[in-house]
Amino acid sequence: MIIATYVKHVPDAEARLTAEGGRIALDENAYALDGMDEYGVEAALRLKEAGLADEIVALAIGPARSEAALRTALALGADRAVLLETDDDLDPLAQAEPLAEATRACGAELLLVGGKQADWDSAALGPAVAEALGWPVCDWTTELGIEGREVAAVHDVDDGREAWRASLPVVVTTQQGLNEPRYPTLPNIMKAKRKPLERQPLTANPRVVTLDAILPSRARRGVRLEGDAATVASELARRLRDEAKAL
Amino acid sequence: MDFALPDDLLVLQRAVRDFAQREIAPVAAELDRDPRYPRSTLRRMGEMGLLGILTPEAYGGLGLGYLAYAVLLEEIAAADAAHATIASVTNGMPQSLILAHGSAAQRDRWLPRLAAGEAIGAFCLTEPHAGSDAAALRTRARRVEGGYRLDGSKAWITSGGEADLYLVLAKTDPEAGARGITAFVLERDTPGLSFGAPERKLGQHAATTTSVRFDDAFVPEGQRLGEEGQGFVMAMSALDGGRVGIAAQALGIARAAFAAAARHAEEREAFGRPIREFQGIGFKLADMATRIEAARLLTHRAAWLLDRGTRATKEVSMAKLAASETAVFVCDAAVQVFGGYGYSADYPVERYLRDARVTTLYEGTSEIQRVVISRQIHRETAR
Repeated sequence: MIIATYVKHVPDAEARLTAEGGRIALDENAYALDGMDEYGVEAALRLKEAGLADEIVALAIGPARSEAALRTALALGADRAVLLETDDDLDPLAQAEPLAEATRACGAELLLVGGKQADWDSAALGPAVAEALGWPVCDWTTELGIEGREVAAVHDVDDGREAWRASLPVVVTTQQGLNEPRYPTLPNIMKAKRKPLERQPLTANPRVVTLDAILPSRARRGVRLEGDAATVASELARRLRDEAKAL
Repeated sequence: MDFALPDDLLVLQRAVRDFAQREIAPVAAELDRDPRYPRSTLRRMGEMGLLGILTPEAYGGLGLGYLAYAVLLEEIAAADAAHATIASVTNGMPQSLILAHGSAAQRDRWLPRLAAGEAIGAFCLTEPHAGSDAAALRTRARRVEGGYRLDGSKAWITSGGEADLYLVLAKTDPEAGARGITAFVLERDTPGLSFGAPERKLGQHAATTTSVRFDDAFVPEGQRLGEEGQGFVMAMSALDGGRVGIAAQALGIARAAFAAAARHAEEREAFGRPIREFQGIGFKLADMATRIEAARLLTHRAAWLLDRGTRATKEVSMAKLAASETAVFVCDAAVQVFGGYGYSADYPVERYLRDARVTTLYEGTSEIQRVVISRQIHRETAR
């Protein structure tokens, strides 16, 4: 069986963001493989190590710099990678069609997608690509196994956890708790340079167009209460009760 | 002229930074408070490839050069200096001397274990009365049937009692001075090999340091490295690499202290504004950053020269001198920026200062570096 795992090159959670000309402006080095996608890559590796998969294909959609995310996936242990290259900032629905096509093209029967993508902060991609493929989707997965031709998974729901089975092919979206992703070792990073990475130009129609990007202001909202201790205490109690609703 | 690090190296640097900050930095304070040899993090460093950086891929190492070595070691030191010391010793002399002077059988026997971090290497040169004056060694190796018997003691051995392999320099011909020194590789379980209690040190507590004793310790002939009498020359030829490593370590410690101080100066307020706005603090940060940058340029250039196969003894000593003195200066300044908090073990800067202090002492004191540099200047001037 072939597993496809989607990886996104997103701003590093610790990067200091700036906006220029209505776009987020960041140095290439401030991007990293989306943490949510690391769970997907790790899940694929574990299935392969357990003898349940033959090949892992890492798929990415994005500008040329996304190659770094694919190289990370290859360094972690993916066998080959495909980059659908576009400079458009595609919304999740616009990504779903080409991702579905690429998944079919590589012959995968299991597609792993991050529970949400850090850049759009959206959880739509997994379900949207499942829709495009006509495959069932199990989202927010915290346990994943394959038994015969069935995927057996557990995922979080509002009031607890749900066990879930479906026949392959299936889309699974990940979340924290699914596994503890490994680090790419330096020998594997060096070997990853020699693994196949295919680039395909992508023309897609964004359904959402970014008009402007503004960073949230960081003004402090702290309030200093003045007066003697008794006045300050009663004012603090009033604010906690009436405004913060904490009491 | 291009000052940018190669793209491939930037990728490795980033991977090691992530690893070191997530796996090593969080245990640094605890290992300082409650010292123990950091076996579990060392094992993970071995899996990452960080304990065989210079050793060729054919022996399970990364096969990288000294520039990469400096860049990666700085990342480890920025997370914890003690880990960087252990890494620099096992990466350094044991592997570089076995690679350069070992027979094929010796290389096959020891290098893969060392490069993978399955075995940690120690280097036994210094003796209680012979530090930088290596030619004055007293540890004796007597030829006996099938090998040698070693007697004597070594001091300040990093990973003493913890390392698996010990590269030992001993005198086979006491009359011949430096030309009477020979190198041997001993396994830890060698009968007659014993270790003193861990030294109590100012800093780098997790990098266990002990004395090492040889009491009639038998070493088979097959564990002699190179020919008799070559040990001193072998060790001297590998000194430059070790010094680049310590320069890189010093940079890492300095960088961590500077980052902590810069952050503190943004957040700490006095008289109604962040303390960075006071020139007394702002200028201090400017000096710290400038000296780190200068020392890093010297270190990278020295490493780059070594990678080109150029003789770079002067440049390496300059880098080691500048980086170690910078580390002590920067860590001390960081304590000052932190004010009273800088003196508290609840903040990391006092540990950085204690950890940095030894960098002007080991792998040749600052005075020895100046001797080396001034001799090279003399050679260049007097010719």
